[in-house]
Amino acid sequence: MRRLVILALLFGAMQLVLPLGASAHGSQWLLTFGFLILAAYSVGELAVLVRLPKITGYLAAGVLFGPSVFNTVTVDAIGELRPVSSLAIALIAYLAGAELRWDEVRRRGVTIAKILTAELVLGFIAISATLVLLGDRLPFLEGTSGASRLAFAVLFGAIAVVHSPAVVMALLSETRAGGPIARTTLGVVLVSDVVVVVLFSAVLAITRAVVPPTGANVAGLSLASIVWELAGAVFVGALLGGAVALYLRFVKHELVLFAIVVAFFGMVIAQLTHVETLLALLTAGFVTENFSRHEDGEAIRHAMERSAAPVFVVFFALAGAEMGLRQVALVWPLLIPIIAVRTASLWAGTRVGVRWASAPREARDVWMGLVPQAGVAIGLAAAVGQAYPVRGAQMRTLFLAVVAINQVIGPILFRLALNRGGEIAGAAGEPTPVQPHRAIR
Amino acid sequence: MRDSLILVLVVAASYLAARVAFEWLARRFVIVSGAEYLLLGILLGPQLSGILSRETVESFAPIATLGLGWMGALIGAQLVLHRLVRIPAVLYRVALVESLLTLAFVAALLAAALFLGFDVTRGEAIVAGTALGAVAVASASAGVAVVARQLGRRSPVVRQLEVSTAANALVAVVTSGILFALVHRTPPSVGRPLTATEWAVVTIAIGVVGGTLFHLFVGEERKVDRLFVSLGGAVILVSGAATYLRLSPLLAAVCFGAVLANTTRNRAEIVAALDRVERPLYFALLVLAGAAWRPSVRAWTLVVLLFLCTRVAAKLGGARLAARWNGMLPTLGDDWGRGLLGQGGLAIAVALSYLYQDEVPLPNLVFTAAVASVLLTDVLSARFVRSLLRVDLLTPDGAARHEPNDAVRGAAASEG
Repeated sequence: MRRLVILALLFGAMQLVLPLGASAHGSQWLLTFGFLILAAYSVGELAVLVRLPKITGYLAAGVLFGPSVFNTVTVDAIGELRPVSSLAIALIAYLAGAELRWDEVRRRGVTIAKILTAELVLGFIAISATLVLLGDRLPFLEGTSGASRLAFAVLFGAIAVVHSPAVVMALLSETRAGGPIARTTLGVVLVSDVVVVVLFSAVLAITRAVVPPTGANVAGLSLASIVWELAGAVFVGALLGGAVALYLRFVKHELVLFAIVVAFFGMVIAQLTHVETLLALLTAGFVTENFSRHEDGEAIRHAMERSAAPVFVVFFALAGAEMGLRQVALVWPLLIPIIAVRTASLWAGTRVGVRWASAPREARDVWMGLVPQAGVAIGLAAAVGQAYPVRGAQMRTLFLAVVAINQVIGPILFRLALNRGGEIAGAAGEPTPVQPHRAIR
Repeated sequence: MRDSLILVLVVAASYLAARVAFEWLARRFVIVSGAEYLLLGILLGPQLSGILSRETVESFAPIATLGLGWMGALIGAQLVLHRLVRIPAVLYRVALVESLLTLAFVAALLAAALFLGFDVTRGEAIVAGTALGAVAVASASAGVAVVARQLGRRSPVVRQLEVSTAANALVAVVTSGILFALVHRTPPSVGRPLTATEWAVVTIAIGVVGGTLFHLFVGEERKVDRLFVSLGGAVILVSGAATYLRLSPLLAAVCFGAVLANTTRNRAEIVAALDRVERPLYFALLVLAGAAWRPSVRAWTLVVLLFLCTRVAAKLGGARLAARWNGMLPTLGDDWGRGLLGQGGLAIAVALSYLYQDEVPLPNLVFTAAVASVLLTDVLSARFVRSLLRVDLLTPDGAARHEPNDAVRGAAASEG
């Protein structure tokens, strides 16, 4: 009840303040940022009361106060807050990398690789085939035939297999889970990000060869650029991680400020050098964690988690605000088969992968953590929109609706999996996490 | 994007260099300051090296505004009523009289000088003069804090300086807040124009409502991590709302901090959460303030010099008069006002919030005066206090207290 009163007061206060002022010196940016933190945080607490993940609450707050419903957070404000989302993604990637210990990679690497291969291959084929079957019912396949239809269907399939490290990391942070399901899911989503970027780049290059874009931004995704994007990211990330490790060893002051600077700096340098941002930050986190003293790595991770907390709340709320409810309403009959096939292929692919890797039975629930989709997926869809302005935009609309649904059901499913595996720390009557000291706080 | 990268790189490198250099200076010469960050901002800004373009500096304005709000919340959080009532009334009287004398003297003299020397109306001269008065009132608390930490509360001068710097901060913030309400113009979209009183009430209401809301929000929460998220959101909301309405983020945040400090049981945790990012935000505020500085035209140099001289005279004279009127001169000594000469970051904060107002006269002049004063006096603030205490150590009650030099140096080093 108290949370609802707070939400009502916040909303009322914003309605009073907004007509009285004018945006200057980024003040609306700040006002919206503050409002989103408090509103999303309140809805997140409400979500916990009904046994839903906080992230679902943050997303719901975004939808509620975003342009689709109350419009307290306007489209302009969302645009102004975009750097916050970029910063959040950088922080998430760094923290994800810092969670990977070399010994653990060696121990779980084979299992992760086999599960990932099975679920990606199955998902990619199944979704592409579904789209071909749906054919003219899909706006972006209307009027296509043969190779071009297949090319666009495969392009959509290459994006649809992507997962969300952001949601997985945030949920692990919220639940403090650290057991085999948590660790394996985290490993799969992190590696899949790299694999999907490669897959997408290759498929886009093939699609361009089959259906040459007209009048669009066709600036190159050549083989060399793909190689540089990935190898360069590892190189840049390793340099950054090494620099951070040196700072921790010899200076180690003002870590909260330093953590933000590292994330921001990594993001900017990745963009300037045209390398994959997520991979660069992930590598930086990995290098720092594995090449610095244990207490130093722990210190920077804690500092980053602390400074990242408000940023994450706003990141998910913004993701919710950007969800187009109208878009979902318009294309919902087409969403059902696509989402059903994707979910089924994740389920089946994970089971195949688990059996192939001879992993413990409980790892079969990993598929639930692979359902959420967020930032990377949206970014890839935007890249298609740039390459094919008409069909790409139609594909993007449909895909954003798919992401919206997966973003809502994904965290709920993943929490369910962690709960079933008894990996949520502190829950009554449940076992302690396997590695509580490595759990993401 | 390239500018942003350069900003991050240069700020990070310079931060390290400044930190190392000033740690040494603090140890060697008892210098406790934030002026180095201000200087750094000036060096990086568009006026000198041009490493930071004007657009980049403007794009970082929300961070500076957040720094203002955070500073205000910390000032407000110190206003805990049950602690304040334990302090003898005479200390408040001396502090308030000194603050108001300084404000009135500097404001009157500078307003007259501006009216006579520049092409401004009487009203504009009064507004700019009052802003300069508000800037002049603020004094650095860092030097006093360093000495106080070592001497405890045994020295009456230190005690008076502590109360005076707090009162100075409050008077400076309230004056600037009321000034912004007075010059505020209601946007055309609003049906009935609001009066200055109504805008002042709105400023205070933002803080009070924000504080109450936060109190409801966190309840009995004691985990600093969770408090930090809510507190961050609340300070951002309060300072954002005040800036959005073109009011004073400092005054709104002071009200917010005061409400928090007096209504929650988890005050210690809240102060811990506020302290967590105080330093980074303070440094960022100073660097951005330095970069935002636009030097005044040459004719204004005289006004800046006049401001500096007037402030010194007002502080020394006002302090002496205030002590005499309250019968404290024998205890505090003739020159206790010297301990208030250092200008801390608050002066820059008040001037920066004035600079961010679009409807005020001579914003660059006010800001230039504040920058000059801080650069000249802030680095010496601890030395001012120490020089005062050397005399204080030999007060008529005789007992020579321990020599603070080494202790002060040690504390300054840790403060550095």
